[in-house]
This record gives sequence, C-alpha cells and structure tokens, in this order.
Amino acid sequence: MMTALLILHGLLAVGLLGATTHQALAATIKRTEPRTRSFISRFRATDAAAYSNAVVILFAAAVALGAVLYPRYRFVVRPLLQTMDLRAPNGAFELKEHFSAIGLLMLPAYWASWRQPLAPEYEFARISLTWIITLIVWWNFVVGQLLVAIKGLFP
Amino acid sequence: MAFSLAACIAYTFAYYFDWSLFRYDLAESQLHFTSSAASAGPPILWYGWLALAILAGAVVAWVLPARLAAHLSPDFLWLIPGALILAALMYEMRWFL
Repeated sequence: MMTALLILHGLLAVGLLGATTHQALAATIKRTEPRTRSFISRFRATDAAAYSNAVVILFAAAVALGAVLYPRYRFVVRPLLQTMDLRAPNGAFELKEHFSAIGLLMLPAYWASWRQPLAPEYEFARISLTWIITLIVWWNFVVGQLLVAIKGLFP
Repeated sequence: MAFSLAACIAYTFAYYFDWSLFRYDLAESQLHFTSSAASAGPPILWYGWLALAILAGAVVAWVLPARLAAHLSPDFLWLIPGALILAALMYEMRWFL
C-alpha cells in the first residue's frame, strides 16, 4: 500500500514539475506570435494562466500524499540516515518539509494572483511567486528522488 | 493574500519556537494535544505546525479589515515567502556544516 502511495506521490510530483516549470517559463518569456513552428515559438505561445488550477490541485494532492507517507519516512528512512551519519540528506528533507508547507500555504495567494482577468499591477509579483513555487517543487522533487535511492547511493 | 502571508509567517514562528498545535506520536499512532503527554518515541510536530499556521492565517484573514487588506502591496506576495525560504535555509544550515 505504502509503495503504491509513494509511486503515486512521485507521479503527481512529475505532473506538478511539468506544469509549474512550463507556467513559470511561459510567463517570463514575452509572448510572441509563433512565426515558425519551432519548439521555442510554440512554448512562448502557451497561455501561462491555464496552468494555475492544475498547479494548485497537483501541489495540494502531492503534499497531502506526502503527509500520509511522512510517518513511514520518520520510522524507516530517518533512522537509517542517522545510523549512516548522513546529515546533509537529513537536512535536505527538513528543508523539503518547510518548503512544502510554505508552498502549500501560499497556494491561495498564488491562485488569486492568476485569476482572470489578470491584474496588471500584480504581474511582477505573480511571476515571482510562480518561480518561488517552481523552485520549491524542483527542490522537493530532487530531494525526494535522492532519498528514495539513498541506500543505493551510499551503500 | 492575507491568509497566505499570515499563515506562512505563523508556520515559520511555529517551527522556530516549537509551537505545535498537537503532536503525532509515531509509536502509538496517536495525536496528543498536550506537550506533557508521555511519548514512547519521537513525535511528529510538522502536522501541528501546519495546523497552527492554517488557524493563524484564517484568524488574520477573518479579523483584518477588507480596506486594510486591499492596501497590502503586491510585492509582499514574493518578498515574504522569499524571506521565509531564506530563514528556513539559515535555520537548517546546521545539518550541512
């Protein structure tokens, strides 16, 4: 059961990673008419606002699943890290914990900032907050993957 | 916006000062609302920090007058979470030294 939840947690994180990275880049790069059919042109033509609902739902679902899995981490993985004297991975997970909470609590403001019609006075704040959420998601994803593979990385 | 900002600040205070609304006992799989309750193993505080932050955010959003909330600068949307992320990095630096 826990393995299935861990896989689902990872799959949600992959979806979230794609959605938030795409949104952050599309919001930052100025939109132009896709004159050519190149990947970059199509990427720039993306409507960044369309991702906000997906980001909110995926982020909340990933944190909720993470919260369900958390006791298992504390019971199985953390003692292993302490036994192996792996302080940095332990600290990286502590940061993942705090970043997840900050990201989750910022979701209502993030969602409101992307609500249509987009308020022009919020443009810089909206893009900056989207980048903050994106960086949180990347950190959490990389740390999560490293911890899942920790026994193989430090035999 | 007021909820998010207040809740994020409350969360940072919660983990820094160890203010947890409740503790989850790993060994017994039980919630304890008092810190004096005997615990067989290390408790999980994260749920309690998060619950406290949500409660604080809801209270601030409820009591803050709408006129005042409308005057909050949009820059707080990135400045406050950015500062709180830096605070978390500094707080957890002890693991990397």
